[in-house]
Amino acid sequence: MTRRLPALVLLAGVLAPAVAGAQAVQNATLRRAQQAYDNLEYRQVLSLAPAALRERLTGAERARAYELLGFTYGAMDSILKAVEAFKQVVLIDPERQLDPNRVSPKAYSAFDVALRQVLLVRQLRVDSTTFIGGQGAAPIRFTVTQPARVVTRAIGSGGSFLIDSGAWNGQVNLRWPARLPNGDPVPAGSYTVVVDARLGQNAFSASQPIRLSHGSVDTVAHLTSLPGYEYLPETEQPPQSWRPLGLAFLYTGGALVGTVGLESSSLGASSTRELAVVGGAALLTGFVMTLRKPAPRPAAANILYNRLLRDQIARRNQDIAKENVARRQQVQLTLVPLVKPGGGGTR
Amino acid sequence: MSRAAVRRAAVGAAWLALVGPAAAAQRVTLGPHVALASYREVASGLRYQGTGFGGALAARYRRLSAEASVMRVTLDPTEGSAATSGFKVTEVNAWVAYDVAAYASLEVGVVRHSADPEFDAQSVGAVRIGARSFYEIGPGATVLFRANYLAAPRFSGGGRAPFSLDLGLGLDVRLAGRLHGTAAYAFQRINRKTNPGGTGEIDAPIQETVARVGLAVGF
Repeated sequence: MTRRLPALVLLAGVLAPAVAGAQAVQNATLRRAQQAYDNLEYRQVLSLAPAALRERLTGAERARAYELLGFTYGAMDSILKAVEAFKQVVLIDPERQLDPNRVSPKAYSAFDVALRQVLLVRQLRVDSTTFIGGQGAAPIRFTVTQPARVVTRAIGSGGSFLIDSGAWNGQVNLRWPARLPNGDPVPAGSYTVVVDARLGQNAFSASQPIRLSHGSVDTVAHLTSLPGYEYLPETEQPPQSWRPLGLAFLYTGGALVGTVGLESSSLGASSTRELAVVGGAALLTGFVMTLRKPAPRPAAANILYNRLLRDQIARRNQDIAKENVARRQQVQLTLVPLVKPGGGGTR
Repeated sequence: MSRAAVRRAAVGAAWLALVGPAAAAQRVTLGPHVALASYREVASGLRYQGTGFGGALAARYRRLSAEASVMRVTLDPTEGSAATSGFKVTEVNAWVAYDVAAYASLEVGVVRHSADPEFDAQSVGAVRIGARSFYEIGPGATVLFRANYLAAPRFSGGGRAPFSLDLGLGLDVRLAGRLHGTAAYAFQRINRKTNPGGTGEIDAPIQETVARVGLAVGF
C-alpha cells in the first residue's frame, strides 16, 4: 500500500494536466509538448515547450506552455524552476487555479509558492445584492497574494468613488454602502470596481464591471391582526342553571315571609290573593327562564384582551405609517455584476 | 311633615319620574295595569276587597331610576265584614332610586292614598325611605324586592304611626320587542295610633295588599 501511494500521486499529477490540455490547443509544437507530457517524456517537454513559447501563441496557450513546464519541473524535482514557470502562468492568467485533488503535491506547492512571490489581485467578486440606501452595503471580496497597499474604487458614468484604501494581504472582504459623502446614494449607472494593489515598484490591478440601479422601497402593509393572536368573543354563553327559578323563589319567598311576619294580629291574616298572583307570575317566569337558553354575558377578560390587541395593532400601524413615510423617501439600490470583458494585468 | 309638604314631594317625584327619563332619552316604560287590592283597618272585622285600574311609568338613566304608579281601586266589604258600604281609593306611589351595587338600590319616594268618600276610610300620605334588590333572572326578565319604611305618615282622621312598613315584589318581563309584561305586589302595614277625645291612645292599624298586573311599552 505504501509503495502504491507515490505511484497514485504521480498518476494524478500526470492525468490532471492531460485533462486540462484537452482544451483546444492550436499550436502544433505546444500540442507535441502536451503529448510528450502525457507520455511522461519529460525531456521532450523541456525542449518542446520552450520552443513553443518562442512561437506566436495566444495568452491561454502561453499560460498552458508555462504550466506544462511547471508540472514537468515539479515531476523532475526542480522546484525552483517549477516555481518560476508557475509565476509566468499566474502573471498571464491571475485567476488560474489548480485543483489540489488532481495535481501532484509537488506541483501544487510550487504553484502556491509562485502565487506568494507575485503581487496579484485575484478572485475579485462583487455579489448581486439589493439594499436600502444608507442601511446596507454591497459585499466586495478579493485576494491579494502579497502584503500591499490596496485602493478600491468604483469608476463609472456617475463619477469615481473611493470604496476603500488600506494595507491588505490574503482574503479581503469589503462592504460598499454606495453613498456619497452627503448621504445621498451613488448615481445609478454602470461602474467598474477597480482594485489597485501596489507593493514598491510592483503593482497589479483587477476590475469587475457592475450595474447600479435605483428603485423605490416597498412600503409595509398595515396590520389587521397580529400573527398568532386572534380576537376572542366578547360575550360568553353561561351554562344553563336553576338560578332563575331559585332567584324567583328567593324574591317571592322574601315577600311572603315579610307579609306573614308583618301582619297585624288584631287585623288577622291578610289576603293572599294578591301575592299569589304576582308571586305565581314570578315563579312561572323563573321556571321559563330556567328552561330558556341563558343570554350571552360580556366576557370581561376577553373584552380587555381584545382592547389590548386593538391597541397593540393600532400602535404597530402607527409605527408602520411612520416607517412608510420614511420608506417613501428612501432609495433601494440594486447592484448586479456584469460579465467581465477582460481580466487584470500587470502594469 | 305637613300635608302640603307631602304633596309637594309627590309632585316633585312625579315630575322627576316623568321629565327625567325623557330628557335623558334612555330606557322608559309606560303602560296600564289592573289592580287587585285588599284593605283592612282598625279591626279584623273591617275588611274590604276590590279591583281597579291604573298606569305605571318607569325610567332609568345610568344608576338613577324612577318609578311612579297611579291607580284607582273600588273596595267593597268582603263577606263577613262589619262594613256596610264600600269606597274608592286613589293611590299614588313614586320612587327615585340610586344603584349602590349591581343588584341593589337605595330609594326614596312618597305614597298617597286618598279615600272617596273622604271619611269612609283613612287617607294616608307618607314619605318612603328604603332599599330594593333586583336581579335579571333571564333575558329581559327582572325580579325586584323592596322594603320601605314609611316615615312621617299623615292621616285624614288624625293620629300617628311610629312603625309603618311597605314590602314589595316586582316583575318585569320583555314579552316581544318593546312590549313588557309587568306585575307588582305591595304589602303595607301601618301601625296607626289615635287618641280620640284625649282618653288615651288606642291602636287603629291599617293593612293593605295590592297586586298590579299590566303591560308596558318601552321607549
